[in-house]
Amino acid sequence: MKAEYINPFVQASFSVLEMVLGNRPSQGALAVQPSTFASEQCNVVCGITGQVQGQVIYGMSLMTADKIASTMLGQSIKTFDALAASALGELGNMISGNAMQMLSELGWECDITPPTVMRGSNVKITTIAVPAIVIPLKLEQGDLFITVGLQGRK
Amino acid sequence: MTNINLSFAALTAEDKSVTIGSQPSLVSALTGVQSTLSKKILITDDALFMRVILRNFLVSNGYEIVAEASNGREAVEKYASCKPDLVFMDITMPEMDGIAATRAIKQHDPAANVIMCTAMGQKNMVMEAIQAGAKDFIVKPFNQDRVLESIQKVIG
Repeated sequence: MKAEYINPFVQASFSVLEMVLGNRPSQGALAVQPSTFASEQCNVVCGITGQVQGQVIYGMSLMTADKIASTMLGQSIKTFDALAASALGELGNMISGNAMQMLSELGWECDITPPTVMRGSNVKITTIAVPAIVIPLKLEQGDLFITVGLQGRK
Repeated sequence: MTNINLSFAALTAEDKSVTIGSQPSLVSALTGVQSTLSKKILITDDALFMRVILRNFLVSNGYEIVAEASNGREAVEKYASCKPDLVFMDITMPEMDGIAATRAIKQHDPAANVIMCTAMGQKNMVMEAIQAGAKDFIVKPFNQDRVLESIQKVIG
């Protein structure tokens, strides 16, 4: 996978997370994700279509998911309901959407699909198309792992 | 007698106008309040979170939310039945996207006021939205002042 595909997601995640969660994340080292990997407890999956295609998965623990949703809603959530799931989905949507703008500036026109929020442990994810790259981020709310698996359309 | 009534009206008018973030003159305060109170907004977004956040924000600034839609098709239907003064429209949505919905609404009512509010701000997306008939384009995550400014610009 081209490094050019990764940078827009790094930049977009920093600007969106800082604006939405009010704290600037710190970034760990990028790593190659094996094509099959054990998922985090909570995942927001966003599809990318167009000149570059694949998917981006925003993974985190249940506790981090609760904290992020609480920050976004401005109040502590009691149960992880539809509104909390929607907040997390929207966070993934905003990061992906902002990254699309940067990809477009680099010459790749793409679109995103509405996000899916999945919760549950012991799930194996296989990205069939390409080996993905993980962007590990540390937030006040906890760790966020952004798995980017994209390839240029043939 | 007339004078007293007028100044009283102006006072309350100014009071309420403050909530929409402007400091209008006496005359525009009077007209401003009337228009703010009657401004009806339709929110369209597939994300419940976004609808809740936008609704709370707009209501706290004196606007009335007449309806919410979770996809483009619903927005077109609700536009026809609610006749809002303004529509907030997301782009990426299931069933019918915001661009197609804006086209359909403009076809039904060429004077419709639509503001796009989406996470995707690439140039071709903005162009397509404007060509479809949207009057402004806001990129999420939105800045609250930017939203109020946009509403002022589009429906005054």
